[in-house]
Amino acid sequence: MSDSSETPNVAEASGEAQEGIDTGSPLAGFANRLLKPLRDFVKADTPGRIDKAGKAALILPTMASTLIIILILGFLWYEATPIFLDPSGGPGIIVSPTWDPNRNLYGIAIFIVGSFLCTGIAIGIAVPLGVSGAIFLSEFCPMRLRTLIKMIMEMMAAIPSIVYGLWAYVVMVPYIRNVMAPELQSNLLTSWMPWFQGSTNGLSLLAGGLILAIMLLPTVVTITSDALLTVPRTLREASLALGATQSETARKIVLSAALPGVGAAIVLSLGRAVGETMAILMVTGNSLQIPYTLFDTTYVMTSIITNQLGYAFVFPLWRSALFAVALILLIISICFTVVAKLFIRWGMKTRGYI
Amino acid sequence: MVEISHNIEIHNLSTWFGSKKILRDITCYFRDNSVTAIMGPSGCGKSTLLRTLNRLNDLVPSFRREGVVLFRGQDIYKPGSSVYELRKRIGMVFQKPNPFPMSVRDNIMYGPKLHGVKDDNELDKIVEDSLKRAALWDEVKDELDQPAPNLSGGQQQRLCIARALSVDPPVLLMDEPVSSLDPLSAGKIEELIVELKKDYTIILVTHNVQQAFRVSDEAAFLYLGELVEFNSTKKIAVAPQDERTEAFITGRIG
Ligand SMILES: Nc1ncnc2c1ncn2[C@@H]1O[C@H](COP(=O)(O)OP(=O)(O)O)[C@@H](O)[C@H]1O
Ligand SMILES: [Mg+2]
Repeated sequence: MSDSSETPNVAEASGEAQEGIDTGSPLAGFANRLLKPLRDFVKADTPGRIDKAGKAALILPTMASTLIIILILGFLWYEATPIFLDPSGGPGIIVSPTWDPNRNLYGIAIFIVGSFLCTGIAIGIAVPLGVSGAIFLSEFCPMRLRTLIKMIMEMMAAIPSIVYGLWAYVVMVPYIRNVMAPELQSNLLTSWMPWFQGSTNGLSLLAGGLILAIMLLPTVVTITSDALLTVPRTLREASLALGATQSETARKIVLSAALPGVGAAIVLSLGRAVGETMAILMVTGNSLQIPYTLFDTTYVMTSIITNQLGYAFVFPLWRSALFAVALILLIISICFTVVAKLFIRWGMKTRGYI
Repeated sequence: MVEISHNIEIHNLSTWFGSKKILRDITCYFRDNSVTAIMGPSGCGKSTLLRTLNRLNDLVPSFRREGVVLFRGQDIYKPGSSVYELRKRIGMVFQKPNPFPMSVRDNIMYGPKLHGVKDDNELDKIVEDSLKRAALWDEVKDELDQPAPNLSGGQQQRLCIARALSVDPPVLLMDEPVSSLDPLSAGKIEELIVELKKDYTIILVTHNVQQAFRVSDEAAFLYLGELVEFNSTKKIAVAPQDERTEAFITGRIG
């Protein structure tokens, strides 16, 4: 009797306490929102008080991965602090375009721009192409061929990026120099376009974007086609039974139903794109300028770190500036992930999945 | 003999999946403005028959057919006849509710938009009309922008009926439309079917004899791919001609 009357009392008391905090300050409310699931999890089977070890086993990996992210952020922040505090640096380096360690100028804007442009080109090519490919695979392709193509795609995803880089350096870069650039710059249709101007030796923004697109393609295709294949057959039939063609069904029903999954594919490739180093480093020419055309050379965030960390190690400011680049890289990819997660949530909500 | 109008006629229809013969030499018709029930134990080919009528079986590579299916006097399998036009004219409701994962409104507008309706007012009118015909309007008129999968099972199935009606087909195929629903929702949909037959030719597949007797005007009994009996529901209920039919309606087979 005393037991059963006590439990609700405790619950009530804690409920009141929570409400008190909630109305107190928004920060405490936020903390409360973070902690509540934890508290619920701990309390979940209070009456039985069993399976503490199982609980710990579940919660530890979650905590650990969160902790690792926080530690890495903290570590990068710590290493990057000198440049942000130094008069020659400061937060202004993010928008300053001049990188010249000899003159103590550590503007990192060109790398940010370079990374964004490369990623943008790669995503711009890989996503439409990969999604169309995935639609073909899941909706129109015979089973046997699908298995074969998927196997090839999975193998492509496993090729080390240095191999892509070597291939691009030996095949794609000369192709851009000898065929693509002259072709695009001479024909009437495209020769006037500002983004096709300028002489080139092939090492270029375009080369970086293209090789990155090729590397992303298998990820986009496999994840997207998996997402499309999970769409129930009855939805396709409902659409066809209304008089839709197979192509209309694929685009308007299947793709739309799988959009959250496609979103996930794009997040993964975005993450890989901004973080990709080796192949990009080998084909973008790495000169310190903001590219104005597709044929200009460019320098991305990962490349500058790889190229200069060795020299910079004994110069605290220089070294710190490189860590600042890494910090921004990490923040950018976290932002991508968060935005994508929000998009996926929105997609699931409007589709009634959650 | 009195001239009866029917939208759909089947002559000597046999179908195969691969080498397996499913339907055996079926000949029958479906009368306009009435409900024709197709009964039979599961696996006897009811769905196959229904899906042959709107050519949904064409998607199965191993499907083969002999015999003729006429829709308004035209052979639907005649080379060159448009399968999309046919499916627009012959609506279908499936066994499990399968609303598209989008809003209630978008579910209804999907069909009309496919077939070229662009005007917003007209689309709104179609949404309202279709939902009213499916007896769902009052329940969802304030939630048209909510995702359809959030509706209850019975509401989802009525939404699917409304979606089928949105392109205004004269014929409605229903493949065990209430078998996955609770009795209350099932009752609502049965009432709806009786209501709808005023304007549509309805072909209702069911393995539930009582349901067939409640809602249908004519009934066909299919057994192992064979059309054993086809008659007015009353006659079949009172005096089945074939002993297999009798066995089925008295619950001895199926
Ligand atoms: N797509 C298909 N491919 C091969 N066989 C099928 C296919 N669809 C149905 N069948 C077979 O056809 C027979 C009749 O199935 P169906 O028409 O669904 O029966 P019912 O709807 O009366 O339960 C079953 O034996 C089933 O295995
Ligand atoms: Mg069936």
